[in-house]
Amino acid sequence: MWAYIVRRVLATIPVMAVVALFVFSLLYLAPGDPAAVIAGDQATPDDVERIRASLGLDRPYLVRFGAWVWDILRGDLGTSIFTNLPVSHMIAQRIEPTLSLMIVTLILAVSIAVPMGVVAAWKQGTTIDRLVMAFAVLGFSVPVFVVGYVLAYIFALELDWLPVQGYTPFSQGFFPWMENLILPSVALGGVYIALIARITRATMLEVLSQDYIRTARAKGAGQRSILFLHALKNAAVPIVTIIGIGIALLIGGAVVTESVFAIPGLGRLTVDAILRRDYPVIQGVVLLFSFVYVLVNLVIDLLYTLFDPRIRY
Amino acid sequence: MSAASLPAGLVIPPDLAIAPPTQDILSNVTPKRGFVGYLRRYPMIGFGGGLLLVMLFVAIFAPFLGTKDPTALAPALRTREPGAEFWFGSDMLGRDVYSRVLYGARVSLLVGFSVAFFASAIGLTIGLISGFNRFADSIIMRVMDGMMSIPPILLAIALMALTRGSVQNVILAITIAEVPRVSRLVRGVVLSLREQPYVEAAVASGTRTPTIIFRHILPNTLAPLTVQATFICAAAMITEAILSFIGAGTPPTIPSWGNIMAEGRALWQVKPYIVFFPAIFLSITVLAVNLLGDGLRDSIDPRLATKL
Repeated sequence: MWAYIVRRVLATIPVMAVVALFVFSLLYLAPGDPAAVIAGDQATPDDVERIRASLGLDRPYLVRFGAWVWDILRGDLGTSIFTNLPVSHMIAQRIEPTLSLMIVTLILAVSIAVPMGVVAAWKQGTTIDRLVMAFAVLGFSVPVFVVGYVLAYIFALELDWLPVQGYTPFSQGFFPWMENLILPSVALGGVYIALIARITRATMLEVLSQDYIRTARAKGAGQRSILFLHALKNAAVPIVTIIGIGIALLIGGAVVTESVFAIPGLGRLTVDAILRRDYPVIQGVVLLFSFVYVLVNLVIDLLYTLFDPRIRY
Repeated sequence: MSAASLPAGLVIPPDLAIAPPTQDILSNVTPKRGFVGYLRRYPMIGFGGGLLLVMLFVAIFAPFLGTKDPTALAPALRTREPGAEFWFGSDMLGRDVYSRVLYGARVSLLVGFSVAFFASAIGLTIGLISGFNRFADSIIMRVMDGMMSIPPILLAIALMALTRGSVQNVILAITIAEVPRVSRLVRGVVLSLREQPYVEAAVASGTRTPTIIFRHILPNTLAPLTVQATFICAAAMITEAILSFIGAGTPPTIPSWGNIMAEGRALWQVKPYIVFFPAIFLSITVLAVNLLGDGLRDSIDPRLATKL
């Protein structure tokens, strides 16, 4: 068991190394010369050269990569070209809205999608099943910003139930915070719900055809207990796996959702950084998101034994 | 069976009860073959494919469908509501949204089809190599794992930040982001095919590796790859719109659905139609491709059809 955990944790190191190398190369290949930017218009070529040496930009690729990784391990993600602030500082400022959005979406999506998939599998071939499947196809097809605008138009502009856009920090109370997050979460959750519902349905169909389900039925177990105790428990591993993998959709979608709903989170930071070509910021955000993504999936892998005690390492 | 069809000479006594003729249950089932039969069995292929063909028609014949120059400015006629003059209204620079949306179909379809093609071709090559060479496999798969742990939209955004916005660069960036998934799929198929008895038989009878790859393995990867390609096409069209929408994609001079929406964003609370028309077209097109993909998957593996 412990050997497996250690092996699994160690296995993420090469993955993170590839991510780091990729993200570092991004800055390395980025057009523009940071030394010339910092030196300003009045600088002589000698000045630029001196600044380049002081920044360590004249060293070879791999040496710079090593220094960069060392900085990151100490929590230094570099300095923004545009605002001159440390990137880690900028990320820290913007992380709350994004984290809120993702957690609310995650909870919302899982609590809608899993029952949806279960019911669809239970009522396979009926109208309910068809509706769920149609919703799943729609969820995959309608892009997140389209859902966002339609929802905002109906519920914020026409009905005036919820704020059109913006974000209220959690510290100002749960309800103002939630009010601003409902529409973005539903918009962002669309694809995610579709994905989870589809996998849940497929896995449940598989499980429901097993012998022990028939046994449970034969001994007189109730429909609900068969579905949620006997079947869902055995379907848990693929469902939880897809919840973890689907977080990539949430991360990508958050960038767009935050633009639609004017939420000042990491997504907006990324979009602003791209428009200004602020490479250290882009680098920092991509690195952070990838790291979180790898970490979440690592934790889910390690939790398999919890969902399915039959799994032993 | 009526009396008329009885053999000559056999007379039925008048008081004898005759069982009613049994219905010939097999008579009505005439299996439809050929293309039409295929479409009837998998209506989603017909529906999705048909819708996609309509979009393709719109994209190709955009100049002849009552459009104006999609980039022609008319400041005096800006933000007109949809009506007789501007079918979908006009944007804040007085450009005709209808024309822009129709021309926008070109960008979306071009990006979708190109990414699907290139990502499949590159992914197929990488997957075949990695499925047949254990040393290359160990390196390639580490790299692919790393690339797959960067969320694809973020990866495409990061790549677009490096380059100038152009349709080619958008295609390139999305292709790079999609390749790891295709490679994994192909590698998985190759590894399972290698264990098949017919491949073993080919090896045993002395077939050389290139022949095994190209004659025995490659053709069997094409079916799942085609299905995957349609889903990549759908994802690429959405990603293109997202990139353009946040200003990191197709240059604003080219009307693409993402660009039209990005430009309409500032006014969407008062003039929602500028955003909604491209949104509807984008959603319908992606839906068409997804339905086509679902149908193709069902037709390739009917066992999956009732499940996924």
